[in-house]
Amino acid sequence: MSKVRSTLLFALIAALLITACAAPAPPAAAPAAQPAAAEATAAPAAESGGVDMVLMPKFLGILVFDQAHQGALEAHKEVGNTGKLEFLGPTPENSVAGQIEILTTATTQGVDAIMISNNAGDQLAPAAKAARDAGMTVVTWDSPIPSAEGEQVFVAQVDFDETGKVMADMALSILGADGGQLAILSASPDAANQNAWNAAFQDVLANDPKYANLEMVDLVYGNDQSEDSYNQALALVDKYPDLKLIMAPTTVGIAAAAKAMQDEGLCDKVKVSGLGLPAEMVSYTLNGCAPEFALWSFVDLGYLTYHVAYQLATGQIEAKAGQTFEAGLMGSYTITKDPTRDAGLRVLMGPFTVYNKDNVEAAAK
Amino acid sequence: MNGRFSWLRSWEGLLLVILVAVVGMNIVQSPFYLGIGNQINLFQLSIEKIIVALMMTLIIINAEIDLSVASVMGMAACTLARLHEMGAPLPIGIAAGLVAGVLAGAFNGFWVAYVGLPSLAVTLAGLIGYRGVARILLEDRSIGNFPAWFNHLGQQPLLGPLPLALIIFFLLLAVAIVVLQSSAFGRYVYVIGNSLDVARYSGVKVKRVKMLLFIVSGTVAALAGLLLAARLGAVRGNTADGFELDIITMVLLGGVSIFGGRGSLTGVLLSILIILNLRNGLSLINVTSNTQTGVIGVLLILSVLLPNLAAHLRDRWQRSAVRPFSSL
Repeated sequence: MSKVRSTLLFALIAALLITACAAPAPPAAAPAAQPAAAEATAAPAAESGGVDMVLMPKFLGILVFDQAHQGALEAHKEVGNTGKLEFLGPTPENSVAGQIEILTTATTQGVDAIMISNNAGDQLAPAAKAARDAGMTVVTWDSPIPSAEGEQVFVAQVDFDETGKVMADMALSILGADGGQLAILSASPDAANQNAWNAAFQDVLANDPKYANLEMVDLVYGNDQSEDSYNQALALVDKYPDLKLIMAPTTVGIAAAAKAMQDEGLCDKVKVSGLGLPAEMVSYTLNGCAPEFALWSFVDLGYLTYHVAYQLATGQIEAKAGQTFEAGLMGSYTITKDPTRDAGLRVLMGPFTVYNKDNVEAAAK
Repeated sequence: MNGRFSWLRSWEGLLLVILVAVVGMNIVQSPFYLGIGNQINLFQLSIEKIIVALMMTLIIINAEIDLSVASVMGMAACTLARLHEMGAPLPIGIAAGLVAGVLAGAFNGFWVAYVGLPSLAVTLAGLIGYRGVARILLEDRSIGNFPAWFNHLGQQPLLGPLPLALIIFFLLLAVAIVVLQSSAFGRYVYVIGNSLDVARYSGVKVKRVKMLLFIVSGTVAALAGLLLAARLGAVRGNTADGFELDIITMVLLGGVSIFGGRGSLTGVLLSILIILNLRNGLSLINVTSNTQTGVIGVLLILSVLLPNLAAHLRDRWQRSAVRPFSSL
């Protein structure tokens, strides 16, 4: 009886599978089967009326990514694209697998262009290559694909080397000429942008005599989770009694570290700096826990990224060094070779704004 | 009650109805769903998890659990990557990764089968320990640049539209079905899961069965970890982090009792198909990941509640009836 039952069930499942597999594939749905179509499909997107685009953050629930979405939406309206702009991201605990899944699904759906803030390192490259083979425009922003494989252009918020110098300057300004011990509280080891900034920061500290008194003692990861970052910040204080500064080049990390120092009444002893959002940092800046921090506009970054992706997808521009283009209200930009990676192209947005008690309130509104 | 279609009232029957509903909804909702590329991707995106879920089914029917599988996947992948980084030929790395899985499984099995510690505790320690080894091997580095043939195996179709991992899944499924439903070993797995004492008094070699199950679980997890490395083309210390929960979800939703002794691969296969198709369908209509996780969470809660609730109600209604087996 139970055997009959099982056999019946298996037959049904098998039938389901076979029907599913044997059904004729809609033209856009079989990307793997048509690798040759790569170049031919870039232009026609505009003719069919609209360019369907996906903006993918590292994961959902982070304010700066919502701001980038807002910027992309502005550009979307401005260019009059009748296609759809979707904002799709994974959950924080499933970031790597989730990003790969969203990219693969977008390829299946025949989306015309995707804009990725990569949190999966080179693990995203195979899926990105498959998307390119299917004729999709693939642009990264905020954080690139390290090997640049499968990626056409990376829209960089700021020069990654300059980030190191800006962080070193803030550290010097907070600690003074006597310097002292500092530690980095980064996001995740998978984030190419974080790694590049940390490397640039350490490079500047090691090689520029101006910063000789700044001693970096540790690099820890809070994975862009508030609780993780909070605990990591407190652990740093316990581990290094002489620690004077926590440098967190992540908006989640810097806010969590500042809160940790404030909660423990340590703000006189250990300062916090890095990359933060004025709205989240204003109270810590005014009470002296985080006297200085820096950031760029994520709204602008989303806006610029949208223009790059849209113009690539419609064939208005090509992904090659020396290509110039107009990015709406933001003016003219040029695609160049990315000097911070071995391969890859880059559009550089820049510059930084450094916030302190004088300008943070205005920016937080 | 005993009509020809009475099996439809079983857990598998319910899962089949849900699956048909999900597939039907997907077909209506998205024109891309039925494409062969999408059907392959649907499996491919979770292929490593469903491979491990097959062995997890046997372990849980045996009234044990293996929480360390995702860490073993990570450890095997990191072993491969570390050796590759040091310049060893890839086949040696693959062999070493598999050996790491065998050893991890044997270590788990020893403490559970021969010392008699609860597998929950032993494999929880494994979850932490093997992940630790993975992180020590690669620290914060990301290792890629594997030879083209290796990446090709993970990313390209091998036989018709089928990639290697999917073929392995179907082979393992066939083996698992034969072993569990038609072999003496499979009967032992059920008997031990139902009652350890009965199994012992019946002369079942309990220790040997448990040991073997854990060794195979570790080996299959290592194999899945290597397949994941090939699919992603790069490995990090956190590769496969957190997969164990998804894997156990698939098995429990499949109607396998967490107390052991009950469950079937049919149910688990149906549950895998439901979860994969549901995720794929929700993705295709651009439902956010947060909602997807929520939907699957609700599904799992129901899968635990419904059978127990049904059993409870049956109990109340048929108190006078004498049944051969109590369903707890």
